[in-house]
Amino acid sequence: MATAYPIPEITAPSARPGAGLLVLLAAMTPEQLESVLANLTASFPAEGLIIASSDALPAESYPSLRIVAAPATNASWTHTAADFVNVYQLAEKNGARAILMLSAESGSLGSSAFRDLANAVLTTSTDLAVPCYDLPPNAGLVNSAILYPLTRALFASRVRFPLAVDLGLSLRMAERLAVAAHRFNAPNQGEAPLWPVNEATVAGFTIDQFDVGPRVQPPPTIPDLNTILPLVTGALFADIDAKAAFWQRFRQLPHAGNPMPMPRPMPQAPSIDAAAEIAPMLQAFRLAYTNLHEIWSLVLPPNSLLGLKRLSATDAAAFHMPESLWARIVFDFLLAYRLRTINRGHLLGALIPLYLAWVASHINVSASGANPERHIEAVAAAFEADKTYLVSRWRWPDRFNP
Amino acid sequence: MQTILVMMLQPGPNQTLPPLDAGNSSIWRHMSDALHQSIDRVLSVLISILPGILAFMMALAVFTLIGMALSALLRRGLTAAKFDDRLARGSGNVDWAPSTSPTALIARASFWACVLLGLIIGVSAFDAAYATAATPPSSLLPYLTRVVGAAFLLIAGTLIARFLARSVLIGAVNTQLRYARFLSLGIKWLVLVLTAAMVLDHLQIGGNVVELAFGILFGGIVLTLALAIGLGSRDLVSRSLESHAEHSSDSSAAPSTTSPDDSIRHF
Repeated sequence: MATAYPIPEITAPSARPGAGLLVLLAAMTPEQLESVLANLTASFPAEGLIIASSDALPAESYPSLRIVAAPATNASWTHTAADFVNVYQLAEKNGARAILMLSAESGSLGSSAFRDLANAVLTTSTDLAVPCYDLPPNAGLVNSAILYPLTRALFASRVRFPLAVDLGLSLRMAERLAVAAHRFNAPNQGEAPLWPVNEATVAGFTIDQFDVGPRVQPPPTIPDLNTILPLVTGALFADIDAKAAFWQRFRQLPHAGNPMPMPRPMPQAPSIDAAAEIAPMLQAFRLAYTNLHEIWSLVLPPNSLLGLKRLSATDAAAFHMPESLWARIVFDFLLAYRLRTINRGHLLGALIPLYLAWVASHINVSASGANPERHIEAVAAAFEADKTYLVSRWRWPDRFNP
Repeated sequence: MQTILVMMLQPGPNQTLPPLDAGNSSIWRHMSDALHQSIDRVLSVLISILPGILAFMMALAVFTLIGMALSALLRRGLTAAKFDDRLARGSGNVDWAPSTSPTALIARASFWACVLLGLIIGVSAFDAAYATAATPPSSLLPYLTRVVGAAFLLIAGTLIARFLARSVLIGAVNTQLRYARFLSLGIKWLVLVLTAAMVLDHLQIGGNVVELAFGILFGGIVLTLALAIGLGSRDLVSRSLESHAEHSSDSSAAPSTTSPDDSIRHF
């Protein structure tokens, strides 16, 4: 629940207006904390830092740092609405000029990552600084399949990780996110993530992306994909629904080089036994095809159903979901979410086997020696190309759709 | 009509009358009188409830028109006042589809409230006319209320059955149970049978027969499911459970966000 808590100070409340950078640290192990603080103090003067953490940090261990207590939230793998409300209140109270939000396992980031993210919001006009991680080829697949292509197609943003767990925020960006976070004050929406890139784009704020190298991603609190995929996609669909007036207008995607850098190509996939890897996913997809066909037919047009029929009969070795088919499927699910064609919980549950089919296809592409990042870019391009379909059906849902 | 009946009962001019004695002619006269009286009664009841029927139709039509006007007025007024936007800003909830926006909901609710009011007024007018006309007086309203209640039960039961069937189907498919459709159908028919029994009981049709039949049918479905899963589908279930156990311990991609060797990470 996005609530603001009273903020007790641990250290002496000597107000230092304009102290500079407020760093919000998620709960982490003492070793990681030490590594993060060492990196921060190496990159910034200690007097300009305010460290906010829900962990009880002994002030005597870090005498040069100003440490304040942050309210504890139940988020560990991503920032929730409550985090954004709390961090803005802390920044305002302590007179910070910019904010750096670091999630669990941020000790695996290098000091240059902290420096880039923080300097962007401290010294330049950037409002939102987002990292671009170097992840292994088959990691962050929900991001590659749904979050990145949708955000890129609809909000014309090249941010590779829209749900990044480390963020640099200007004060006005933090304020905007805190206001947006108030929408999520229902008791069952506490875990729902917020979409800073979408907010910044709608507000016309400047976004910068920085290569930060590899990072250990914090595992989701709920390990069950059947729970967490509907939660994340549902939150994104709801945000897209709320911002429909913005993204329906045509917007040019910024050039790859300026101001948003293209993500670095990921390393080649290691040679894995792709057939064995994708076998359970294909089994799940085929089982769903025989059982969920009736539900899918309420959401998907006949052309997509035909594509799925062909896929269900394809061998594992040749299994490849066309990028255009995947884009159309996601758009049709988004439309059904908006129109409430079926119960939204059922809808997002019915998307899971299709997502697994895309993952199987992606693994096959990676195993064939192709650059997985190229495949992800092709998927994103397919989403962009099919945006007109989404806009058209969003406006006229009852139009003939073969 | 009375004349026609009397003519039908009287012998024709060319017909030869059977040899009748005084007793027989008296029976014919009594029958004719009884029929006359019966027709009189039915006609008078029909004539007396005719205003009630007209009142029912009139009330329904008038209140439907009022509902339509009120709904249109509310829709225009609330749209002009940007009610949806204000509500979204106030409550922070922007999760409204166009077909279920607060304005549309209020307009629709006002329309159906008017229709319902017209229905109640019409039925009570009809009921009053019918009760005064009928001898012995009996009331139609309580049974109509039961019919409406039964209709609501039927609609709610059907919706719940469909919702539960889909929930079970999607949940079972996502946990890779091979008998997902069978489970879903079982749940659906359990709820539908329960609904049918409740509806019939509510309408007071069938009495104990319905209770007995429901008990047998419901128990039969549960027993069938249990037998099918326990005996008939023993191999299927064991295979499915084994595969589920293997997936959860070895290399399942569906239920978990990561595979054990961390080669696939969904987040």
